[in-house]
Amino acid sequence: MNIEAIQAMGMHDEVPGTAAAAQAVPAGAGFGSQVAQGLQELNQQLLASQVDLQRLAAGETASLHEVMVRMEESRIALQLALQVRNRALEAYQDVMRMQV
Amino acid sequence: MDFTQAFAISAAGMSVQRMRVEVAALNLANAHGVQAPGAPAYQPLRVMVTPSAPFDALVASGLQPGALPTASVQATAAPPRMVHDPGHPLADARGFVHHAAVDPATEMVTLMSAMRSYEANVAAMNTTRTLALKTLEIGRGA
Repeated sequence: MNIEAIQAMGMHDEVPGTAAAAQAVPAGAGFGSQVAQGLQELNQQLLASQVDLQRLAAGETASLHEVMVRMEESRIALQLALQVRNRALEAYQDVMRMQV
Repeated sequence: MDFTQAFAISAAGMSVQRMRVEVAALNLANAHGVQAPGAPAYQPLRVMVTPSAPFDALVASGLQPGALPTASVQATAAPPRMVHDPGHPLADARGFVHHAAVDPATEMVTLMSAMRSYEANVAAMNTTRTLALKTLEIGRGA
């Protein structure tokens, strides 16, 4: 295996987020923009959990179980995002292994 | 996501049970309070857990969200417990002392039942969470 092949893979990793979105946006909400939007929402949720934890540490939280419930929600959202990423990566690698 | 709704339901149940524990603790803390003869006595508090809407309205709306329990605290109008103790500084003219009308045994049973119910809510939430995480395992072994 030569290094150029690995570099090429690294370059391609950044392509789907920009190129696919740029191509698909005229036809409506493309896969790339959907992924970006999902990641944005996931980030918001994780940040909300972080704020909850900070409030808990500062002693401002009224109910502990609300914090735990929100943390579990964000954990499930993160797991979902991870699975989406795994599927997308598997599909990408399948295509890359395809012999033409 | 669908699972957030089940989480909210369990969280509402946990809020109710926590309020029951708080009220029982308050009653227990005031269990041995003594009032002067003329002063108003401590009234034991009781948590009333009611659905947020009447049942027929819930059925009419298809049992959609809105069935969450809501808890409200109400004071019971129990008369103070009278104990004959003429030497007490707060005894009335007939020698009776007005104790708060709190039954410690009832409050302990309330505590126990609230704890079990809280655990049930936690178990329901954990099951929901396990379901959600198991769902994400679909197709993982392929």
